[in-house]
Amino acid sequence: MRKIILAMLLVSMALVAMGAQKLVINSYMSDPEPKRVFDELVGQFRELYPDYDVTVNTFSHEDFKVLLRTWLTASNPPDVVTWFAGERMRYFASRDLLEPIGDIFENGFEADFPKAFASASSYGDKIYFVPQSWYWWGVYYRKSTFEKLGISVPVTWKQFLDVCETLKSNGIIPITIGTKYLWTAAGVFDYFNMRVNGIEYALKLTNGEIPYTDEGMKNVFAYWRQLVDKKYFLDNATSYTWQEAANFLFTGEAAMYLMGQFIKDVAPESVKEDLDFFRFPVIDGNIGLYEDTPIDGFMMPANARNKEAGKTFLKFIASTEAQAYFASELGRLAANKHVPAPDAHAQKGLDMILASDGVMQFYDRDTDPEMANAGMNGFVEFMTFPNRIETILRNLEAERNRIYK
Amino acid sequence: MKGKKWVPWAFLALPLTMYSIWVIYPVGRTLFLSFTNWDGVSRTMRFVGLENFKELFNDPYFITSLVNNFKWLIGFALICVPAGLGVALLLDQKFRGNKVYKTLIYLPMTLSFVVIGQIWSWILEPRSGALNSFLALFGIKGISWLSDPSIVTYSLIMAASWRQISYAMVLYLAGLKGVPQELVEAATVDGAGSWKRFWNVVLPMLRPATVVAVTVSIIDSLRAFDIVYVLTRGGPFYSSSVMANYMYIKAFNNYRMGYGSSIATIQFLITLGFIVFYMRNVLKREAERE
Repeated sequence: MRKIILAMLLVSMALVAMGAQKLVINSYMSDPEPKRVFDELVGQFRELYPDYDVTVNTFSHEDFKVLLRTWLTASNPPDVVTWFAGERMRYFASRDLLEPIGDIFENGFEADFPKAFASASSYGDKIYFVPQSWYWWGVYYRKSTFEKLGISVPVTWKQFLDVCETLKSNGIIPITIGTKYLWTAAGVFDYFNMRVNGIEYALKLTNGEIPYTDEGMKNVFAYWRQLVDKKYFLDNATSYTWQEAANFLFTGEAAMYLMGQFIKDVAPESVKEDLDFFRFPVIDGNIGLYEDTPIDGFMMPANARNKEAGKTFLKFIASTEAQAYFASELGRLAANKHVPAPDAHAQKGLDMILASDGVMQFYDRDTDPEMANAGMNGFVEFMTFPNRIETILRNLEAERNRIYK
Repeated sequence: MKGKKWVPWAFLALPLTMYSIWVIYPVGRTLFLSFTNWDGVSRTMRFVGLENFKELFNDPYFITSLVNNFKWLIGFALICVPAGLGVALLLDQKFRGNKVYKTLIYLPMTLSFVVIGQIWSWILEPRSGALNSFLALFGIKGISWLSDPSIVTYSLIMAASWRQISYAMVLYLAGLKGVPQELVEAATVDGAGSWKRFWNVVLPMLRPATVVAVTVSIIDSLRAFDIVYVLTRGGPFYSSSVMANYMYIKAFNNYRMGYGSSIATIQFLITLGFIVFYMRNVLKREAERE
């Protein structure tokens, strides 16, 4: 009798093992908060689909960006990976390294997701990317510092300069920034570019259609230079990662940080309530209000082994419930348009974006990767040696000619 | 031993095969890729001849990397090796606690370069790092170790020297054990002062150790990557970049595998030059001895 039961047990285990489909997900959510929430989401998926054997591999955010290339070209890549919308995704889609996943949207992409996200998620007429969350960028600041010094939130460029001067004369670092990993400087560049030249110009630039030596570009740096010359930025910014620079904001040594909403991911609990943001100041009243709204999400390598399992996961991630959970836990905005803003802070961000005239992804998500790298190095060099701007722009123009020819 | 000529080959077969697969083949493929424009991602690539190399020598960032490697070479060969010798001489004498010092100084050798890099990134932190806090005691204002483009490479060499000196020390401690005491005593009897004893007796006997120390230091300086990558990624804007770091960024961050391969080729050829020089010197000496 015992032998029969044992045999049945072994056979059923074998059947379960054969039936259990594997699913491998590689994620770049290495900061503690997003990692926790994503793990919980995967837990929910496991409960809904117990037949799947799900493995999540988390990699440090910066290293993931370099490793993705090796996975996509391997013969046994993960089934689902986190990534960014826009040019960053299209770079791989155009080389046939991604699987089109448009079929997971039963009623079509636009039934659940904003039309504005469609182009950032597609290449040609196929959809390769499932948006999960997006966030706005703004000038984050310490409410208590502003209150103590009687500073009101600036709207125009002149008001912003006055705020910086007040802060500096009171021994507070006006703007903190960590440029060890370059992209923070690209954020500053994007905002000056959008405020000075508008979104059409900015999009043409990322498309490689505008010379870096153009007058419009020189104007961007002329305004940026006003902040650099008066030393309103954190000293030795190149030594710090963006999180290390954010520490100065959290300790109160600095007052402002041009950053994305995810700064709240690393803010200590005691400081979270004291953080608020305002729209980057208006420089030219005739130019519309444009913002950076990078979109994060998921995609599937073309060589993935378990495409069915991967698509099931992508469908789950696109669902209103999963999107609402992720957004509410982290205070982000869900890409799924049926999900309301999770809290007052996110509502404020959403309102700011809805009141804007247009949005861009981000300099290094919309430009060819090599051009982006050269550009960002140029921005960081400018912040250290503003006098070199002519040479920097000339070198960038030479790069642009080489890359886009 | 007559016959059985195949015996040595049989023993060598396995290591030679492994060497061919994991060293010879990749080197060959890298050389091949340096003549293409492969981006590391697409399924196709185009043969571009010497274009990558032409671009290389006009690339200011590559020239900076080359110059930086040279600074590392000077630092390692001319500062770390003598410093290691000095420490070894100090610790070779008998005194209480001399084993403790040897262990402590040997410690960095047990750490990976990535760990060393992480430790030094905290030491060199501009506002609250150990080094600047220490200097503040003497009234010296905080130095921008890692963000001032004119000193960042020296800061990196300093961080790497911590380990390189201990490596040289170990070599020299072993070498000093091989110096026959009778020779030194004979020199003392002959009236030679301690400096003369060192310069004319001890140092020449340390020649093998010196050759190894200098050659390995040169090769390590050309290979430098971990410290640079962990501390600055070659920044700010490539001012601390070295060839290995620049090659990595070009190949993997910028999706230019062909161009990165050409940088790797140049690095390989330079290192090969030094190794050939070393082998010829060492082998010549070995042959002379026989």
